[in-house]
Amino acid sequence: MASLDDPGEVREGFLCPLCLKDLQSFYQLQSHYEEEHSGEDRDVKGQIKSLVQKAKKAKNRLLKREGDDRAESGTQGYESFSYGGVDPYMWEPQELGAVRSHLSDFKKHRAARIDHYVVEVNKLIIRLEKLTAFDRTNTESAKIRAIEKSVVPWVNDQDVPFCPDCGNKFNIRNRRHHCRLCGSIMCKKCMELISLPLANKLTSASKDSLSTHTSPSQSPNSVHGSRRGSISSMSSVSSVLDEKDDDRIRCCTHCKDTLLKREQQIDEKEHTPDIVKLYEKLRLCMEKVDQKAPEYIRMAASLNAGETTYSLEHASDLRVEVQKVYELIDALSKKILTLGLNQDPPPHPNTLRLQRMIRYSATLFVQEKLLGLMSLPTKEQFEELKKKRKQEMERKRILERQAALEAQRRLEERRSDLASRAANGEVVSLRGGPAPLRKAEGWLPLSGSQGQGEDSDPLLQQIHNITSFIRQAKAAGRTDEVRTLQENLRQLQDEYDQQQTEKAIEMSRKQAEEEDLQREQLQMLREREWEREREQFQAASLHTRTRSLDFREIRSFHLEPGREPRTHFAHVLDLGSSPAQSSAAPKSPSPSSALEPISVWSGPQALGQEFFPQSTMSQQNEVPSLNLFDEEDLSSPTAEGTTSPLAAEPSFGPSAHILKEYNPFEEEEAVGNPFTNPDSPAPNPFEEEDEHPHQRPSSPPVPGNPFEEATCTNPFEMDSDSGPESEEPIEEELLLQQIDNIKAYIFDAKQCGRLDEVEVLTENLRELKRTLAKQKGGTD
Amino acid sequence: MNVVFAVKQYISKMIEDSGPGMKVLLMDKETENVDYLIQELRRPKYSIYFIYLSNVISKSDVKSLAEADEQEVVAEVQEFYGDYIAVNPHLFSLNILGCCQGRNWDPAQLSRTTQGLTALLLSLKKCPMIRYQLSSEAAKRLGECVKQVITKEYELFEFRRTEVPPLLLILDRCDDAITPLLNQWTYQAMVHELLGINNNRIDLSRVPGISKDLREVVLSAENDEFYANNMYLNFAEIGSNIKNLMEDFQRKKPKEQQKLESIADMKAFVENYPQFKKMSGTVSKHVTVVGELSRLVSERNLLEVSEVEQELACQNDHSSALQNVKRLLQNPRVTEFDAARLVMLYALHYERHSSNSLPGLMMDLRNKGVSEKYRKLVSAVVEYGGKRVRGSDLFSPKDAVAITKQFLKGLKGVENVYTQHQPFLHDTLDHLIKGKLKENLYPYLGPSTLRDRPQDIIVFVIGGATYEEALTVYNLNRTTPGVRIVLGGTTVHNTKSFLEEVLASGLHSRNKESAQVPSRSTRKR
Repeated sequence: MASLDDPGEVREGFLCPLCLKDLQSFYQLQSHYEEEHSGEDRDVKGQIKSLVQKAKKAKNRLLKREGDDRAESGTQGYESFSYGGVDPYMWEPQELGAVRSHLSDFKKHRAARIDHYVVEVNKLIIRLEKLTAFDRTNTESAKIRAIEKSVVPWVNDQDVPFCPDCGNKFNIRNRRHHCRLCGSIMCKKCMELISLPLANKLTSASKDSLSTHTSPSQSPNSVHGSRRGSISSMSSVSSVLDEKDDDRIRCCTHCKDTLLKREQQIDEKEHTPDIVKLYEKLRLCMEKVDQKAPEYIRMAASLNAGETTYSLEHASDLRVEVQKVYELIDALSKKILTLGLNQDPPPHPNTLRLQRMIRYSATLFVQEKLLGLMSLPTKEQFEELKKKRKQEMERKRILERQAALEAQRRLEERRSDLASRAANGEVVSLRGGPAPLRKAEGWLPLSGSQGQGEDSDPLLQQIHNITSFIRQAKAAGRTDEVRTLQENLRQLQDEYDQQQTEKAIEMSRKQAEEEDLQREQLQMLREREWEREREQFQAASLHTRTRSLDFREIRSFHLEPGREPRTHFAHVLDLGSSPAQSSAAPKSPSPSSALEPISVWSGPQALGQEFFPQSTMSQQNEVPSLNLFDEEDLSSPTAEGTTSPLAAEPSFGPSAHILKEYNPFEEEEAVGNPFTNPDSPAPNPFEEEDEHPHQRPSSPPVPGNPFEEATCTNPFEMDSDSGPESEEPIEEELLLQQIDNIKAYIFDAKQCGRLDEVEVLTENLRELKRTLAKQKGGTD
Repeated sequence: MNVVFAVKQYISKMIEDSGPGMKVLLMDKETENVDYLIQELRRPKYSIYFIYLSNVISKSDVKSLAEADEQEVVAEVQEFYGDYIAVNPHLFSLNILGCCQGRNWDPAQLSRTTQGLTALLLSLKKCPMIRYQLSSEAAKRLGECVKQVITKEYELFEFRRTEVPPLLLILDRCDDAITPLLNQWTYQAMVHELLGINNNRIDLSRVPGISKDLREVVLSAENDEFYANNMYLNFAEIGSNIKNLMEDFQRKKPKEQQKLESIADMKAFVENYPQFKKMSGTVSKHVTVVGELSRLVSERNLLEVSEVEQELACQNDHSSALQNVKRLLQNPRVTEFDAARLVMLYALHYERHSSNSLPGLMMDLRNKGVSEKYRKLVSAVVEYGGKRVRGSDLFSPKDAVAITKQFLKGLKGVENVYTQHQPFLHDTLDHLIKGKLKENLYPYLGPSTLRDRPQDIIVFVIGGATYEEALTVYNLNRTTPGVRIVLGGTTVHNTKSFLEEVLASGLHSRNKESAQVPSRSTRKR
């Protein structure tokens, strides 16, 4: 049983895991636990519960025996009225009470009964068919009689002096009548008539079954089968208007009853209630919508984006079509709602309720789907959109080309650099060690090469280019251009993002181990970094146009090109470039939020640096040229003074690099154009841009590994890129789910007539919907 | 032995068999029901039927059902023996009011009770030995009927043998007419006494200013945690618990009413809303019920009444009892119902007392304006449960142990004056568990007797059990190791229904004087 080890002694029995009190049986333990410790730790509780359950299952019998033993011993001490019984709620589980099945008996009786019934019905129908096989109207009555007599032997008149049904004596006035189906005799009052249409209906319904099974001496099963399967075909009932007595077949009540029952069965199989028909139609429409609506939404989205994949006319056609289906759904559900309302015996309340529910669900469906049906641009708008998109595409193409050129140029530069470094004895692993230590190691000998490294990140430059364009444009108040530029920027980033991730996937398999190691470390960094980020976000005045997400991506682009040639370089670049930007951010008088998110990221970066040996850090920063930094430091003390808020940031303090980068920015501000700043002494991205804007190769020669690293070595980026994106759909889903939930509550509340609740809930619903709309706006 | 669970298991088995969305028809074997079912099967409304009968059905009924099923819609015919009402895990009822005519069974009710009792035995898989109360003819009759069924359906009653066979003890309400006449102070019993529980439902429509939702509420331990935890606690404890419940609820409430500002808020709201709703339902329900109870208690001056009742039931001081009763009869706040009840208790206790002043009290009742109906009931109750009828002594213990016990109890003083009464059933069961129950008073049916102490005990009270007895059995179960007791009755009484039962037995209609002769003769047998 549940034995728990105590550090000091080994105790056995039913010990409470929390107070180690020994309880006599596990039922007592359970009740004790529930009384004493119910509020305490859930985990422990779950544990003990599962333990108890296991014990219960496995040792049920054993326990029972034990319980009995205990009971006997317990009764001895009963006089003392010991507290040892069991709450009736805790009585051990019992098995299902006695049951007895009558099914076999039932089936036996039923089979006998049904056999009999089926034989009877078949017999009657065969006879009926024979009786209706000839043209009754054009045959003499004598002949008819002869045929009728041949179908079934009539009972002798003399044998039946009284009507078997009503008991009246037969005489001249009360004449005998023969049932044409069974031959028995009854009086006129007790006689029934079967009209030809009915006979036709019955015989035709059974025709296919009769053609296969005509003999009544079949096995009962096949007879059942025929009975069931016989309703598949039913010919139209021929309308015979003139109803002479000859057109009907006389029969006794018994035969008539049997046949009527048969007819009812046929009817029931054939009949589908109106509501079912309508509902099936409704479902069909809903399915159609489910198919079409996503297609339309795709079209509309593409058209709204100015793409020309779909034609506007086609989309509007589709829209009309979908809307028509919605109207149909609405109409159908309305019809269902009013079904049978005007009937004389009003339908059962449950029927009405069902109808209401169908209507409700249909309206809900329409409401929900219509909400998602976005509008199409008008023709003029569409033309405009198209134009805009074209422009954007062009700009993008140009930018791409520039980037490619730049990248190639840098690659060449780097190659030469590599060669020199190889001579230096420094082995550069392209699949760069992402572990910070290794990076730090790899750093030292690289001193002096940073300039080149920075030279060779075309994306960084490109993005800088654009951001500064944006800034300029903003300054000039040209909002249109700003918009297009931002669009550009976004596309650029998207493209690279995609490339990166592709490569990352490729490589991640190989580097999983290293990754893990690093992630652990970076996790810590990230946590701190988030805190800081939050603070800074609050501090920074957020810009409405640019989304922080974009700029986080930018930063990653900075890294990429740098890493291309030498992976361990990437980090340096990363460290180097982002502080640079961040330093720029607070500088700009109109708080250019475009850069602010980056400044956010620089904080953690600095933190990351702090994790490395201080010496390495300073080395990193000073790599390009130590004295140069110093010079800078000395030469621009004023600059430092002005940027005191930035410098005050601990991570920035030691980095002279920042200052160096910083200077040009300041000048930029002063001059108003960062790109014309020729005297920036450090290899700084802006300058580079100025230098090689047209040198970009057609496509950036990208070695596979570095990109991979970009994602895996830099958790910040991963977070910023994938985090929010993956989060949003989830939340949206959640929202939708909740909306559904609340809708259900509202309905429920309405049903129960709790109006105040309905109000509260609708308020909630509205809020949720608003949030959803907001989110949608954000993600689209 | 858990009767609620037994019925639940049947139901879930049925649902499991028939699959979701099926209508399950559970019915007892009343012939009219079979007839209805035959009609239904002749013109079926559904495509498939699972028929579960709550009791033994005859072969001929099965045949006629089968012959009606011409469309082959029946997929299952089973007997599931749930032919009783499971009130608590250890308490069941048959909801029969007025089971006896005079001293003997109403034949229809006898067969119904037999069915119910055998169904219970089958559902618990017990094939018991039977003991009955010798002083009651009805108890013997019922025992014989049950025995007969067991013999007849012997294959059904073949269960795994336990070491100690279970025991069925059949008692008669006549033996203890005091218990159902007392005011109760534990939650379940009190609610039943003052408001009336009918199949777990309480009718609150007479409560002043009741809202529409609470006209009728359900008190079920199965899905009402508060009720499950408090049904056996006394009124004072309920008061504090309900306060806790309220506080708990109010702590939760403001959180729900907050504005939903973030997704997390909304998520929490949606997740908690049903829970919240349930809780708000529970709170409003119990607050209403307890509020109404306390209103009734103060309105009817029940604390004082109950104190005197307990004195009448538990103590033997005639003069003080008489004085107290007289005093309360003068109190205008005491309702005629309570007044009559006090006089009934007095009449039952001091029936043979030398200075019995029942006529004087009856005069007082008349002066108080108590209706004829109630005054007649006083004599009827005495007729129903008077000393003549009782097989054992309700008030003055005979054996030394009991006397010492009472003496000690007197010394210790009573913890709670309102709950000092112990139903007579407690002593009976106590003796039974210890194997001391006298065989001359409670003989076995049949030759075999139980040598060991009983473990599984089913007690059935003809004429109805009470919630006070249910509480007693509950406590016995909790305090006695290895013993499981299930209590059942033709119904579960409160004072009102008990008086109706007395009324239905027809004893009151006879003239006091003329009735005494024949009834005494039956007693003497």
